[in-house]
Amino acid sequence: MAEKKRSLGKELTKGFLDENPVLRLVLGTCPTLAVSTSVESAVGMGLAATIVLICSNIAISALRKVIPSKVRIPAYVVVIASFVTIVQMLVKAFAPSLDEQLGVYLPLIVVNCIILGRAEAFAGKNNVLASAVDGLGMGIGFTIALFTMGFIREFFGTGTITISLINNGKELWTPLFGENPILIFILAPGGFFVFGMLIMLANKIAEKKGKPKAQLHSCKACPMFATCTSSEKEDCER
Amino acid sequence: MKKFSFKEVGVPAIVLFLIAAICTAILAVTNDVTLPKINENNRQAEIKSRQIVISTADSFSDEKTAGDKTYVEALDKDGNVIGYVFTTSSAKGYGGEIKIMTGVSADGKVTGIEILSIEETAGLGMNAKKDTFKNQYVGSSGLFNVVKSNPGENEIQALTGATITSSAVTEAVNEALEIYKTVTGGGK
Amino acid sequence: MKIFFSILLTAILTQNFVLAKFLGICPFLGVSKKTKTATGMSLAVIFVMVLSTAVTYPINTLLVNNDLEYLQTIVFILVIAALVQLVEIVLKKYMPPLYNSLGIYLPLITTNCAVLGVVLLNIDNGYGFAESMVNSLGAGIGFLVAMVMFAGVRERMESSDVPESLKGLPITLVAASLVSMSFLGFAGLVENLFA
Repeated sequence: MAEKKRSLGKELTKGFLDENPVLRLVLGTCPTLAVSTSVESAVGMGLAATIVLICSNIAISALRKVIPSKVRIPAYVVVIASFVTIVQMLVKAFAPSLDEQLGVYLPLIVVNCIILGRAEAFAGKNNVLASAVDGLGMGIGFTIALFTMGFIREFFGTGTITISLINNGKELWTPLFGENPILIFILAPGGFFVFGMLIMLANKIAEKKGKPKAQLHSCKACPMFATCTSSEKEDCER
Repeated sequence: MKKFSFKEVGVPAIVLFLIAAICTAILAVTNDVTLPKINENNRQAEIKSRQIVISTADSFSDEKTAGDKTYVEALDKDGNVIGYVFTTSSAKGYGGEIKIMTGVSADGKVTGIEILSIEETAGLGMNAKKDTFKNQYVGSSGLFNVVKSNPGENEIQALTGATITSSAVTEAVNEALEIYKTVTGGGK
Repeated sequence: MKIFFSILLTAILTQNFVLAKFLGICPFLGVSKKTKTATGMSLAVIFVMVLSTAVTYPINTLLVNNDLEYLQTIVFILVIAALVQLVEIVLKKYMPPLYNSLGIYLPLITTNCAVLGVVLLNIDNGYGFAESMVNSLGAGIGFLVAMVMFAGVRERMESSDVPESLKGLPITLVAASLVSMSFLGFAGLVENLFA
């Protein structure tokens, strides 16, 4: 029992840093870059994706013996798309301002590689409890990465941090350069740049622990890679 | 021709179909639950925006039409028309359509504007939502122009790095003023 | 006619899908090591984007008419997935040369958020059929332009001396940052051209 607990704890915390989906596995890069212009939208996206991740992990894990392996990818996609739509409807109903901030990126959680990737790599092979914990851990890891990106970009790019739930949408505080923020940070180039710097930091930390650098496996990162034929896989790796 | 066995083709197809059917059913239920709430949200948001653009109004009339445009009359306690609320949009925003609501008093002065939907660059175009920008329109009645510095009468100081957004918002405000003229019969 | 050029140029330059909207970053970073593969991937993306727009547009009309808008996401992703599979089978059977150059990228496109993104954005923007098609084409060409430019930059980078800690992904992202900065220069171009 004690042993099982420890392994569950590990499933949870691995996503925080060691196997952080964004900074170490380099998945879900699109939303990471797109909605990290402010802390609020970044955390909102992180939480929305976490909910979808936990739910889809649980559902897919529960159905793993029922779903024939031939049609598993389409089945996963259907399950994930349903949860995304549910979350979308709930956000529209109860947090309309978040819906406005996330815009098209909210339904695009469907194609967030992290979710399909975890379904394929973990939930399809493990029991419900472990899958739920894995989803929670990966979701928190995703949220941590998004929060860090959002904080750096909003802090430098606008000179303030604004969260509409706290302080009535007023600026929380105005640091030294609030008057002349470094605008480029919230523009597209700033997103790429901050992301690059964070990956570099994560690489440094990993190096100290004796782990390899974050790698972009051009094709392997894609969950659809599993559906490729072997000759396609070879071509892709070239 | 390869022969398909039921187990290889039929079972996966049926399972997939069942999953899709169940998911659709769950979605339909969720939709039924959330749709009224979403519609209510939209209605509340619109009422709130109307109150912001004409704060002196006590109530609002039903939607009226002038040509192909719709508008709402702002009424005081006794039911007299003290202003109009127009919803206009400009497709010339940097990130697509910008939809705004403009309040115009009975004598043709802008009483306030509110951004309803906007998808501009965060930190640049999104600053159009700030009061310092929106308040530039208040109190004037002419059509507006956007300038980059030293705004005079009926001139709007463009947002830093977001001239396009500023122009789009201004275009929408101007459209509202044009509708005001048709509503009140050629303007005063 | 003007509106079509305006949509096209906006999608390619000012609102580039990859560099301004951050859609399709995975292939942008992953499949851009060589110009040749980058071109192949992009052509496949253009093809799938235009095709899925053509197919999803009538489906969306059908959904809207039946008050089933909440099924959009789920239906679109399935249509795109099925379409990609279909295209792969058809190409393999009838156009082997084209399959050899594009086929390997097709399975990867289903989860490319640029494809689902363009379909959803067309609806969000309230585009009609022709406008949607033009926008999809523009988004695809924009993807091609970004990919090919970036692949060129990366090929040059291979022979340059990169600081040890930036090697690999970090320098790639810094390079992407610079490429996207160059696209900021197009701001206002389209509006002023057609003003």
